[in-house]
Amino acid sequence: MNKIFALTKKELYSFFNSPIAYIILIVMLSLFNIFFFLIIDQNREVSLRDVFQLMEFMLVFFIPLLTMRLFSEEKSNGTMEFLLTAPLTHTMIVLGKYFSMLIFFTLLIFLTLIYFLIVEYFGEPDPSSMLFGYLGIWLEGAFFIAVGLLASSWTSNQIIAAMVSYLILFSLYFASSFTQYVSGFAEHFLIQLSTHTHLENFAIGIITPSDVVYYLVGILLCLVLTRLSIDNRLWH
Amino acid sequence: MVKKISKNFGSFQALDSVSFEMNKGDIVGLLGKNGAGKTTLMRILTSFITPSSGMVKIDGEDISKHSLSIRQKIGYLPEKPPLYGDMTVQYYLNFAAEIKGVPKNKRLFQLAKVLEECDLEQVKQKTIATLSKGYKQRVGIAQAIIHEPKLLILDEPTSGLDPMQIQQVLALIKNQRDQRTVLLSTHTLTEIEQVAQRVLMIKSGRIVLDDPLEALLKGEGSTQSQPLTLEQVFINHHQPQASENTTQTPEKTEHQEVSHE
Repeated sequence: MNKIFALTKKELYSFFNSPIAYIILIVMLSLFNIFFFLIIDQNREVSLRDVFQLMEFMLVFFIPLLTMRLFSEEKSNGTMEFLLTAPLTHTMIVLGKYFSMLIFFTLLIFLTLIYFLIVEYFGEPDPSSMLFGYLGIWLEGAFFIAVGLLASSWTSNQIIAAMVSYLILFSLYFASSFTQYVSGFAEHFLIQLSTHTHLENFAIGIITPSDVVYYLVGILLCLVLTRLSIDNRLWH
Repeated sequence: MVKKISKNFGSFQALDSVSFEMNKGDIVGLLGKNGAGKTTLMRILTSFITPSSGMVKIDGEDISKHSLSIRQKIGYLPEKPPLYGDMTVQYYLNFAAEIKGVPKNKRLFQLAKVLEECDLEQVKQKTIATLSKGYKQRVGIAQAIIHEPKLLILDEPTSGLDPMQIQQVLALIKNQRDQRTVLLSTHTLTEIEQVAQRVLMIKSGRIVLDDPLEALLKGEGSTQSQPLTLEQVFINHHQPQASENTTQTPEKTEHQEVSHE
């Protein structure tokens, strides 16, 4: 556990030692704030449902920028050899990196809790539905980070890692949009595959086991595949 | 102990039935032309890649079964020092100590020790990216020894350094003699003459020479029976037409491999 923590700390150190972390934080929060204001002003509702759905769409754009360097940079700098020849298991390396971005993302989401307080101050919203919405967006971000980590483990090129992440995340996000072209099982499958479907429930204050399982299985699957990618050195 | 290690990359055979042993406290120079298989051999010893066949035992443990505990006993400096340019020297070495399992109560002591040993005290607060190549190389060696490994593997540690920096790095390697076994690869034969006690020569993935340096330089085993330089020995082994006048016949090498098993 100490070694995982050391890896997480090192990732956060490097991340916050560069302007990238601050730029991403400032840009994302600014965009969230603008859209929060516009949505609340337009809807005149004491609900964050539309805010969460817009945040979800923005995460598709931003998460690959967070994750693209995680493994790609290590490989291109030659430091992957340092990690893989140290007394660390591959699982430790994967988890150390994953937790670092999860902590950063949690910080980002924490900073948006101000929306909850603002809505709470001006109206009488249903607090549980808003908190479930936050839980949903956090789970979705955690899933997207796992996807980005996996893509980063496939290549030493950060741009390729980001592009592959975009391809996967956009496919997941828009999967339900293709239901008009199919029917039966395929239609049901696309609806269930779409991240949009699962976040929608959280955004309106409903937690179903299938939505939680969707995210947890997605995260676990990506982490296991990342571990296998490291085992097999797929970037070679 | 390395026993009949082979490694294939597709149809290319990088190592072919390599066997040798290293004893505690040895400084062994690994020689060979580019592409001879030196880096592949070192990467197998550090568990970075797995051999296609054969066995490696370090400190009595089989690398295929106890990779994690063996990596704890190995310090490794790859050809390109594995450094994080955005970190300070101190942060990087502390991170290396953490992931290499140096206990928290010993970390400060070990850090101070390697900073002194590698003469890095005056640059410990500097960002690695701003250091000269010589300093970077020493930081690379410092991370390799911070956890007191029993075996130190250095892949061309003097590559690209100026003569002063080379001497500093060689002195540092020489100082390791009493503390650990060292396997050192280099293209510069005079460096081997300065620090090594034994020479392993690898050619097209095969060990073609495994002798004490002193014996080699005295010309022992050579048909010439006269003192040689390491350069002459190297050239003899890499010129097919001169193979009959080499210091050691291929038959003897085969015999040595068998005796190591």
